[in-house]
Amino acid sequence: MGNALFIVWRESAEAMLVVGILYAWLRQRPDAAVGMRYLWGGVAAGAALALVLALIMLGIASSLSGNALDYFQLAIMLVASGLIVQMVFWMRKRGRTFKKDLESSMARNASAANWWGLLIVVALAVGRETAETVVFLYGLGAEKGGIADLPIVLVLGVGAAFATFWLLQQGSRVLSWRMFFRVSEILLLLLAGALLVSGVEKLIALDVLPTLVDPVWDTSRLLDDSGRIGGLIASFTGYRARPALLPLLVLAAYWAVVWWSLGRAGRSAATRAVPAPATPAGEALRRAEHR
Amino acid sequence: MHSIFRKNRLLTPYWLAFACAVLFAASAAAAEVPLFKLVARDGVFEPAVIEVPAGQRVRIEISNEGKTPMEFESRDLRQEKVIPPGGKATLTIKAMKPGEYRFFDEFHEKTGQGRLIVK
Repeated sequence: MGNALFIVWRESAEAMLVVGILYAWLRQRPDAAVGMRYLWGGVAAGAALALVLALIMLGIASSLSGNALDYFQLAIMLVASGLIVQMVFWMRKRGRTFKKDLESSMARNASAANWWGLLIVVALAVGRETAETVVFLYGLGAEKGGIADLPIVLVLGVGAAFATFWLLQQGSRVLSWRMFFRVSEILLLLLAGALLVSGVEKLIALDVLPTLVDPVWDTSRLLDDSGRIGGLIASFTGYRARPALLPLLVLAAYWAVVWWSLGRAGRSAATRAVPAPATPAGEALRRAEHR
Repeated sequence: MHSIFRKNRLLTPYWLAFACAVLFAASAAAAEVPLFKLVARDGVFEPAVIEVPAGQRVRIEISNEGKTPMEFESRDLRQEKVIPPGGKATLTIKAMKPGEYRFFDEFHEKTGQGRLIVK
């Protein structure tokens, strides 16, 4: 029972992280109403994706043969990883230049495309792990005596997911906006890196990529990635107790590129100083940013 | 959609790195690979310990003969696969160094534990 709950919470935490951070970020924006529609649209699309994936996993809608499902999941991981990174940079940029963006129609067109990007990243984050939760809960219902537990696990699990979401929203109120955004960025970039590592490992499992050296080291005595806490850290940061060389190199390259790009984005923003926004909403945001 | 990719110089190296990695990959033929059978039954692995030769690629065929779905998972072996009741899946395991590699059924974590011993 406790174990079932933990699984439901863990599987929903990734989706809650992405949805919760985007929600907190959108709420501060003058065009929040537009963004929210895409956000909830993404959640709905993700739920649909989860259902379809779950049916395929259960073999009920088995149109995907052999490794096709693996490749599909792999594509979801890699696209989600790339889009999350993209989203972090977009949020950064939009946080600084939103007033100018709103005034120029060209930027508005560009932002429409990014809203769709937002919808897709939310749909993938929600759909990916929720599918497994659906299969798990289906199994729980099929188990002897498990059907009695199912409604309780469902209610408590959804409750735990909302608690995570609520905590994130509180975080955005308690911390200064700048601090909250910085922490969010780090969490999202860590998650994108973890997805990348999982993707590379899936390619290794599918025999597409070599391991190079396997394992490079073994820290399972320090922090076991198969345990509860270690497992959680592994899924959110890409930590491995016995990493192979290739995923390690990919993760190192990922952080090098992200680090370099963040530094560059920071410098170019500093040289292009943004004039203080004049609208009441803009003024409020500017103050919030400097709080 | 185009502006997502056009404006972003970051994603170009990101995807390029991938394309290169895939290109350099040497995927060997899967011929003459010994097959080991594993049965999962609602959180019980039979056998719970499998011995395989070291330095050689092996395949493991997992049959879920239980009434509930299972998820074969192993961080040590880098495998993750959901198998519905009555379903089967064959995983290819790379040539491994001698040692113990754990696997478990994520949907029945309490009892569904097993080990692959590479000798």
